[in-house]
Amino acid sequence: MAEATTAPHDTDVASASGEADAAQRVRPPKLHPLLRFILIRIGISLILIWGVTVVTFLLTNLVPTDPVAAILGDRAAADPEIVAQTREKLGLDQPLLVQYFTYLGNLLQGDLGVSNQTRTPVLASIGQVFPASIELGIGAILISVILGLLLGLLSALKQNSLVDHAIRTLSLIGISAPTFWIATVAYFVFFFRLRVVPGAGRLDPWITPPPKVTGLYTLDSLLAGQMATFANALGHLILPSCVLALFTIGLLTRFSRSSVLDIIRLDYVTAAKAKGLPARTVVFKYIFRGALVPIITVVGLAFGSLLSGAVLTETVFAWNGLGQYAYRGATTLDLPVIMGVGLVIGIVYILVNFIVDLIYGFVDPRVRVR
Amino acid sequence: MRRLTRNFVAICSTLALTAGLAACGSGSDEAGGAGDTIVAETAFNLKTIDPHRQFEFTGSTIDSAIYQTALEFEDGDLTKPTDGLCSFEMSEDSKEMTLTLKDEDAKFSNGDPVTADDIVFSFERLQGIKGNPSFFLDGVKVKKVDDKTVTLTSAEPNPALPYILPNSSIGIVNSKVVKENEGTTDEKDGAEQFLNENSQGSGPYKVEKYDADSQVVLTANEHYNGPEPKYKRVVLRNVSAETQLTDIQSGQAQVAYDLNADQAKQIDESMGKISSLPSTRSLYIFNNADEKIGGPAADPNFRKAVMAAIDYDKLIDLAGKGSQRMASLVPNEFVGAVPKDEAPERDLEKAKKLLKEAGYDGEKVPFHYSSDQAVNGVDLAQLAETLQAQLKEAGINLDLKPAPSSTQLDGFRSAKQPMGIGTWGADFPDPTNYNVFIPGGDVADRVNWSEDPKLKKLADEAAKAKGDARDAAYAKLFKATTDTAVWIPLVQPVSTVAVGSSIEKFVSNADISFDFAKAE
Repeated sequence: MAEATTAPHDTDVASASGEADAAQRVRPPKLHPLLRFILIRIGISLILIWGVTVVTFLLTNLVPTDPVAAILGDRAAADPEIVAQTREKLGLDQPLLVQYFTYLGNLLQGDLGVSNQTRTPVLASIGQVFPASIELGIGAILISVILGLLLGLLSALKQNSLVDHAIRTLSLIGISAPTFWIATVAYFVFFFRLRVVPGAGRLDPWITPPPKVTGLYTLDSLLAGQMATFANALGHLILPSCVLALFTIGLLTRFSRSSVLDIIRLDYVTAAKAKGLPARTVVFKYIFRGALVPIITVVGLAFGSLLSGAVLTETVFAWNGLGQYAYRGATTLDLPVIMGVGLVIGIVYILVNFIVDLIYGFVDPRVRVR
Repeated sequence: MRRLTRNFVAICSTLALTAGLAACGSGSDEAGGAGDTIVAETAFNLKTIDPHRQFEFTGSTIDSAIYQTALEFEDGDLTKPTDGLCSFEMSEDSKEMTLTLKDEDAKFSNGDPVTADDIVFSFERLQGIKGNPSFFLDGVKVKKVDDKTVTLTSAEPNPALPYILPNSSIGIVNSKVVKENEGTTDEKDGAEQFLNENSQGSGPYKVEKYDADSQVVLTANEHYNGPEPKYKRVVLRNVSAETQLTDIQSGQAQVAYDLNADQAKQIDESMGKISSLPSTRSLYIFNNADEKIGGPAADPNFRKAVMAAIDYDKLIDLAGKGSQRMASLVPNEFVGAVPKDEAPERDLEKAKKLLKEAGYDGEKVPFHYSSDQAVNGVDLAQLAETLQAQLKEAGINLDLKPAPSSTQLDGFRSAKQPMGIGTWGADFPDPTNYNVFIPGGDVADRVNWSEDPKLKKLADEAAKAKGDARDAAYAKLFKATTDTAVWIPLVQPVSTVAVGSSIEKFVSNADISFDFAKAE
């Protein structure tokens, strides 16, 4: 019918369809939803990173104290010539706006400035300490994900049983116990008393670190074929990773338990059980998969937090990572270090969230269509 | 469900097995044994190990092992400066010091001999680069007389110079190599980074690896002209005090610098020894003398009431065994120190009477201190709270104002704080280092204390005094300073070095807290 009514206007139709074709030729090809989704996320991430530079710079410079006071000793601080020279050397004699644009300009060239205290480039120092935090963060997140998800799942599947109560209590302890205390006690018990783990640091003091490739001692020693160094580095990694993981294990256990409990009551799970599917299939393919999306969010946030340094754990275990570096920068009012670490932590969070968003896109098609 | 439980148990077992295997492997050492390595631990405050720029404990500890100095202290006795690389002679008027290079074949770590040119360059670099320790040689003219002799001339009498030269900040560097690496004697100097990674000293050790955040590794200097150190390698690690305690107890570390009194008590003889030395630090209360800023603290009667209200014995308990009362800000072991038995005593009745005379009616007085700082194990936050409670008994109300050290220091230096806790570490062990606390001095300016004719007269007399009379003249000056109660000396803390049981012989004194080269 439609064809019959349009027949007398063939020419017009042809002309209209030609215009449409032309328009289609001019219009850029429609992007694949996933690619479009990724590009938008990249754009948002870049804006966020710029925002982080503004916030870190402003907050750091709003601290009501003079960084020169932290650099100079009592006698040098009393010499106006030395004070003025130091101020000029650090660029602190310039207006704040000029300082920001200088900072931004340097940043675009990969220059995060030089530590006011140690006169070493901040980027080089971060390059030195960040792999330590990454190694510790990966260790902790692996332990957390494995144990946290399994405990959460077990707890949900055995809801209101003794196992459930025990797991919930343990997870509550993990979340609420102060890290510094746990770390100190764990170090005392497992290193000093039981001697089942090595002491503080990333390696025994008399061992030379492996040649630097990634900065992760475990990986670098494997790459260099130094198996004894690898075992030593792994040994040193275990206790701080476990201590650091305690909080995230507790968090993931509680979160995955509640997420699984939400799913377990849904009709499609009841239907799967009614169909007589094996328990393993129901648990992992129906329940666990359905509960995964909110869990990914928590894992992402926890990983970001672990990567951005754990001051207390790093302090107790003499783990020279980003957390210790940041702490030292903050207590000595080392502005370039504070800004550099702030920026890196901001980027880590943005990157982790970006990756989490991408995983959403893959796991849940509704996200990328939206 | 059972399968899930089984899986869980299996995963836990795998993790535990990995841990066990790794722990077993941790005992091995790919880079050689630990036997010739000494591991020392401290909470770093390291900025640099360029001797002419460093001014903190960690840098000084490292440079003491790397650089020799023109003069030293005899067996660590801070009252007896003696020959180092040079012998010395002071002119009658204390204006000229002659240094003569000794024939002891001192050599830098690259084998170059130490020359008079190196001494002149080192002194001039210290002065010219305008770093933290540049003030040591303020107003001193350095001149090479011949290949063995250098003179140091001051416009004013400088009797403190022999006490200044042993400082590790005045270490002698290899001028030829430093100059080749952007070293100059003015502000254009660019050798700091080079010196951090390539030490140029003639001491028992040289730097192998420098990381200002985690650890510094030293190795023996094969050209050192003294006895060969038993420990060929020194690893100085950045470790918190809590971890240092466990590491000393377990034998993981051989030296720990930062244990407080309570922690030191936990080291028994099987684990190690505690070397307790009088520190060169003074803890005191400062009172702002400007009425507009200091409020009640500007009133001498109020200040004296504060001095009489403090329970000094309890402060000694807080600072730990080995800490001492102080009758002035000058540490008890220094020339010019006021005898301990003249230290202020607690007298609450006297304090209340003085408060009445001051017309103080209980208003709150802001009391500033660094909340994140511990001085030789004395936590300043704890000290402030203790003082608040003690002064409350006399009716004095302190309003505690904690702040991070850098913020606190800035506030104190800008002379805007009415009252608070101050700390002073001796730059050199001579009473002239404490002239900054008398009116006209830099630190006195921070409490707006600009004049006191009586103290000025005593200071002039002390500057002219010589020999034993000098000691007495400075003691008189600083006793009179304490009597004003602008500065109220609290305690001289103890410097504690814990040494692990694997070290049988060691030298630890007030000059060098632990001598790595002499440890056996």
